Amino acid sequence: MVREADLGEKLRGLTSGAAVALRLDPQNYADNYLLALTAAIRDVGADPNTHTIFVSVTNPASLVWTIAQALDIAPERISFVDAISHIMMEFRNPLPNATYLESPRMLENMMLRVEYLLRKHDKQRNLVIVDSVNSLAIHNPAPLLSEFFHIFINNLKARHVLAILLASADETTNTVDQILSLVVDETIDVRVEGDEL
Amino acid sequence: MGGPVAAGSLSDAPARERCRTGIEGLDNILEGGIPKGNTVLVAGSVGTGKTTLTLEFLIRGAEVGERSLFLSVTEATEKLMENMRSFEFFSPALIASGQLTLIDVPVLYAKLGLTQEELGIDEIDALLQTIERLLEETHAQRVVIDSITSLGYRMRREERIRDFMLRLSQMLAHHGCTTLLVSEIGPLPGRYSLHGVEEVVVDGVVLLGNARRQGDILRVLQVIKMRGTSHSRAQYVVEMTPIGLLLAPHLKGDRVEEG
Ligand SMILES: Nc1ncnc2c1ncn2[C@@H]1O[C@H](COP(=O)(O)OP(=O)(O)OP(=O)(O)O)[C@@H](O)[C@H]1O
Ligand SMILES: [Mg+2]
Repeated sequence: MVREADLGEKLRGLTSGAAVALRLDPQNYADNYLLALTAAIRDVGADPNTHTIFVSVTNPASLVWTIAQALDIAPERISFVDAISHIMMEFRNPLPNATYLESPRMLENMMLRVEYLLRKHDKQRNLVIVDSVNSLAIHNPAPLLSEFFHIFINNLKARHVLAILLASADETTNTVDQILSLVVDETIDVRVEGDEL
Repeated sequence: MGGPVAAGSLSDAPARERCRTGIEGLDNILEGGIPKGNTVLVAGSVGTGKTTLTLEFLIRGAEVGERSLFLSVTEATEKLMENMRSFEFFSPALIASGQLTLIDVPVLYAKLGLTQEELGIDEIDALLQTIERLLEETHAQRVVIDSITSLGYRMRREERIRDFMLRLSQMLAHHGCTTLLVSEIGPLPGRYSLHGVEEVVVDGVVLLGNARRQGDILRVLQVIKMRGTSHSRAQYVVEMTPIGLLLAPHLKGDRVEEG
């Protein structure tokens, strides 16, 4: 559906303050995930006036950092707010460019850690990636999560920060759909080309 | 002529000058800051961030040229210095220039010869005079006492504590100081001070505490009262960062409000 270059280009063309959802097709999920990360972290984050803040709820920051390194991203260009390593007990080697939350239910603290990082990296065009809405929905009740995204995304808009929310198309439950329809300006379906059966 | 009173007349009183705490989230709740000259209780159980909040209040003040004085009863000032070094907005020059003064109260006690367990009326007089002298020497505009609870312990009796509190807050107001008094309380709700008299005398109460969300504990802050300002009584979640305290609204979700 989307080619790598196209997705990167599309995301680069978004205005600051926009909020978009990338809905990853569950078929060849790993490829789609990699495509989404490449487009978001490398293609958008490559701008020297951009700092990327990656909120890890699906995979530990260490794993995403490995991918980012493979994409030649320097450690000072990206920061992580990791809300999953503690509960997955994968906390042996904390990254210097990551901050760790005790749980993915500490939503206010998640928001405030992002706020802190935005103030520290006061660039012209910052980027926040949330991976993913589905994972947050596993750990939080729907009303709480809607309230969180409403406040969080509005704050990012007010600061002219681009927000990219990852979601998975198959598990896209009512909750996730409702939240996305509430807060995002656009939803882009991500499916690596050539995987049609 | 006997017409209805304008609805807005209550809020038409001239706004009092504010002391911006410098903690942005708190200043937003307080519509600009603490009314100048107010004495405010900062109440909370152990480890809720009372010292961190009050230190930031003083450093932010010192940064903008207000003389600031910290009277430490419970922690040695070297320990406080260590804490402050982790703040990116702290500079040791603030202390060197006399803009920020930290005083060890136990050292004061020793100088005054207040070695007995219980402080009587004369000793309390001596203590108040010493504090007043410090206010005059430092020209303090912002004052913190950490904690008022510990000062109270040695006065033992409620009427002595009440009398001390009244005289202290009058003195601070007379000197135009905006003051935070740290109050150590238990984790149970309902009271804002151990001795029960402090919260009655003060102009404001800021409560620090813990809120639970399933197995997780969130640090929260709530302004319970603040004379001279209309303020939100909502709870906020607090994050301690090297750039100071950051506040976000405590998400309700499906939380049922107490009371
Ligand atoms: N920058 C920070 N980041 C994370 N945690 C911090 C930070 N600064 C302080 N803390 C933690 O917050 C806790 C409470 O801090 P603080 O000493 O201000 O509380 P307190 O209410 O004064 O405690 P006490 O009742 O012991 O006097 C400390 O245990 C400390 O570990
Ligand atoms: Mg303390």
